[in-house]
Amino acid sequence: MIFLSATLAEPQHFSLWERLLFAALVVASAGLFWQRFGPILDRIIKSKKDADFRLFPLGRRIGDFVWEVLCQSKVIRQRPLPGLAHAFVFWGFCAFAMVTLNHCAVGFNAGFLNPNGAIGRFYFYFAAVFALACAVGILGLFVRRFVVRPRWLGEKLSLGSGVVALLIFALMATYLAAFFVPEAGPAARLLWWTHTLTLLVFVPIVPHTKHLHLVLSPATVFLSRGSFSHIPPLAGDEDFGMIAGADLTQLVTLQAYSCVECGRCTEHCPAANTGKLLNPKQIVLGLRGYLNEYGPASQEPLLGKYNAQEAAFQCTTCGACEFQCPVGIEHLPILIGLRRGAVNSGAWDDDHGAKLFLALERGSNAFGMGAADRDKFIEKQQLPLFDGTQEYCLWLGCMGGYDPKGREIVADFARVMNYLGTSYGVLRKEKCTGDPVRRLGNDLLFQQLAEANLEALAQNKVKKIVSICPHCVRTIQEDWKEYGTPPEIEHHSEFLARHLSRLPRPPTQEHQTQEKIVFHDPCYLGRYRNVYEEPRAVASRAGVVIEAPRHRERSFCCGAGGGLSFLGEEKGERVSHVRASELAATGATTVGTACPFCNTMFRDALAAQGDAAPQLLDIAQLTARSLPPGSPAKMNVS
Amino acid sequence: MKIIVAIKQVPERDAQIRIDASGKWIQEADLQWALNESDAYALEEGLQLKEKHGGEVVVVSAGPERVGSTIREALAKGADRAIHIESEDLGQRDALGVARLLAEAIRPENPDLLLTGLQSDDLGYGQSGVILAELLGLPHASLILHVEKTDTGLTVKRELEGGWFQSIDLPTPAVLTIQSGGNKLRYATLMGIKRAKTKEVRRVPAAELGVEMTQVAALERISLPKKQKSTQILPGSPREAAAALVEKLKFEVRVL
Repeated sequence: MIFLSATLAEPQHFSLWERLLFAALVVASAGLFWQRFGPILDRIIKSKKDADFRLFPLGRRIGDFVWEVLCQSKVIRQRPLPGLAHAFVFWGFCAFAMVTLNHCAVGFNAGFLNPNGAIGRFYFYFAAVFALACAVGILGLFVRRFVVRPRWLGEKLSLGSGVVALLIFALMATYLAAFFVPEAGPAARLLWWTHTLTLLVFVPIVPHTKHLHLVLSPATVFLSRGSFSHIPPLAGDEDFGMIAGADLTQLVTLQAYSCVECGRCTEHCPAANTGKLLNPKQIVLGLRGYLNEYGPASQEPLLGKYNAQEAAFQCTTCGACEFQCPVGIEHLPILIGLRRGAVNSGAWDDDHGAKLFLALERGSNAFGMGAADRDKFIEKQQLPLFDGTQEYCLWLGCMGGYDPKGREIVADFARVMNYLGTSYGVLRKEKCTGDPVRRLGNDLLFQQLAEANLEALAQNKVKKIVSICPHCVRTIQEDWKEYGTPPEIEHHSEFLARHLSRLPRPPTQEHQTQEKIVFHDPCYLGRYRNVYEEPRAVASRAGVVIEAPRHRERSFCCGAGGGLSFLGEEKGERVSHVRASELAATGATTVGTACPFCNTMFRDALAAQGDAAPQLLDIAQLTARSLPPGSPAKMNVS
Repeated sequence: MKIIVAIKQVPERDAQIRIDASGKWIQEADLQWALNESDAYALEEGLQLKEKHGGEVVVVSAGPERVGSTIREALAKGADRAIHIESEDLGQRDALGVARLLAEAIRPENPDLLLTGLQSDDLGYGQSGVILAELLGLPHASLILHVEKTDTGLTVKRELEGGWFQSIDLPTPAVLTIQSGGNKLRYATLMGIKRAKTKEVRRVPAAELGVEMTQVAALERISLPKKQKSTQILPGSPREAAAALVEKLKFEVRVL
């Protein structure tokens, strides 16, 4: 074979004037790069320090770096074809680093890899394989961007990307071509110079285009906060969230400049897909635009020219954007940070929002109902009160304590616990965990609610909590940490899955095979808590579990999160209707949920589907349905 | 415009009320407290007037130390400073006695406008505002939903019964008692709370106000409302029953 017998052709000798020209071009290219990159680096460094940033432990960071950057795991997994094409380009670059170093060294007559030596020959072949893959990959990406044109890449064709694709292709082509020309001919020299010039033109294009991610995103992934939707504590008495440029931290600025504009966040965003103003990609690019114009110390409001307040408050905090982002941008701390700035300063003026806040300033629950309503429910269902002797505190939450559908779920879950003989009790008094106000950015109210609840739980000596609401679970376990040590908590899907073998079965096998259950992954259970198998295991005892097109990590929000279920009618299409149609279209007889907020959203949305709509049941209800008749309604003390 | 808003701290709406041993008051231990609702609307009206016309909003409240939290809430929402009349024995004073304390604290301030809630959520006398006007010798109007400043004084919108409103002009200084629901209330913000720390709260012991302890009305006994369920079957044809039901909803329950 020609290829295997071929040797990489390198020019043998460079004259003095050639070397001087090369040196001058390298200096010019590097100078241009720095002229553009320097100010960006400066803006990152001059941004406010992240008060809670800890570099250690490094293990998690190294793990993320290896898995997400080196292995390109997210890039490939969430968009397999373009992801693989990108990975080939990336791996091509990595393999090429040594080749490029040698290439430049050759220009100064100091090449260190001998094309005829064993090591050199091996490495050049090795790199050639990657170069080939990279060339194919970049061609594929070029075709995708300019021929297929998925709408996530934006309406405007990016000419810069075309130029960069051609440059990368030229780099690979000139490298590969050098295997097929005579070693000491003018062709080799021509190829060397073409390769060199391509490289030197490419370098200064990097900083002011989205190709900046080549330089920044490895650092962004390595330095990311790590835990999902981590909302940093406010630092000191003058920190009210993200109001102006001076509130942008180094991580936020770094992330704003890392965006590669791939649009995965937008592709999965429930707001952007239902005609809202919010587009998570534009939020990040808006911050970049702001930083370019005003810089990181500015007092100019962040919500103004570049980002709209309306958009920030359309986020359901489903976290699809943050989960999808391949370059380590953490959208939720940004979106919630903007909300914190607007709410903590009183700039956000919204009738529904103010009503929610006032209800929680004065009362115990997000609905503004009297606590006596909850007492009545507890009495009617004969739920035992927690007295310190029981194993579990059954946390009702606002939905479980006041919403009719949420109450049904609590009642059925209590029946299952009775059947299992688990000892539990409910608190006499309970306040909202603060989930909706936390996500809406009201730090004052969130702190008050978290502290009051932590105190009540400590007084009652609660050790373990179980709840039907993923929002309560997340808020108690993660968000309360800022104000104390919450008791251990689990979601009822985890509890039920642990007792799977002891759960009741449907009366006949037929029951079980006839019912097709499509399970909707709640955002706060799935992406926020990584619980996917447990609710499916529970549901599969009641019927055959089928999947919606978007499921597990890619599940589409019901529209209720982020406090939005309290903010009244939404603009554009209703998120809940879009999701309900998708669930109904699977042909399932039942929609299974594991979150009372999803449940209440789908209750209305499925009703709009007409008579053929599937029934809607929580996994606790699916389980309770199979309880033997006459099973104890009251606690079964075994 | 210098506006004084007299506010009261009352048990939180969801509080579980227990009557104390004397039978004349509630057990205060373990209770949570909040700003009286119509006082919150009075404060809102004051703040909006200040935002439109400039000036100062001063809140005044009487009671023991716990009242401090409600005063801070009012400062956080935008009041400029506060006067706290420190008194442990308000329960023994009648509406006139409390109004006298308030009047003596307010008098040296010479406000252009004095606002307070229509009535308190706990005792519900509806007296403080009108007695204050009498003690200070100022004109007053009650049940006010909206206040407009004019060149000569004020134009106020007053709630009458049966969905009717009355518009009244009155000169300043004046006293208005504010009805709930006329405005949208603002929520408390973190920035407001932090800024409130530096605002002035002048503490005035009740004894220094030179008001004698005299009672013209005494509270004999308090009791919790009795819950009772009664079901009534309305006889007759559906048409007659429906007519009877509408009659009852209109005139007995007054929800229509």
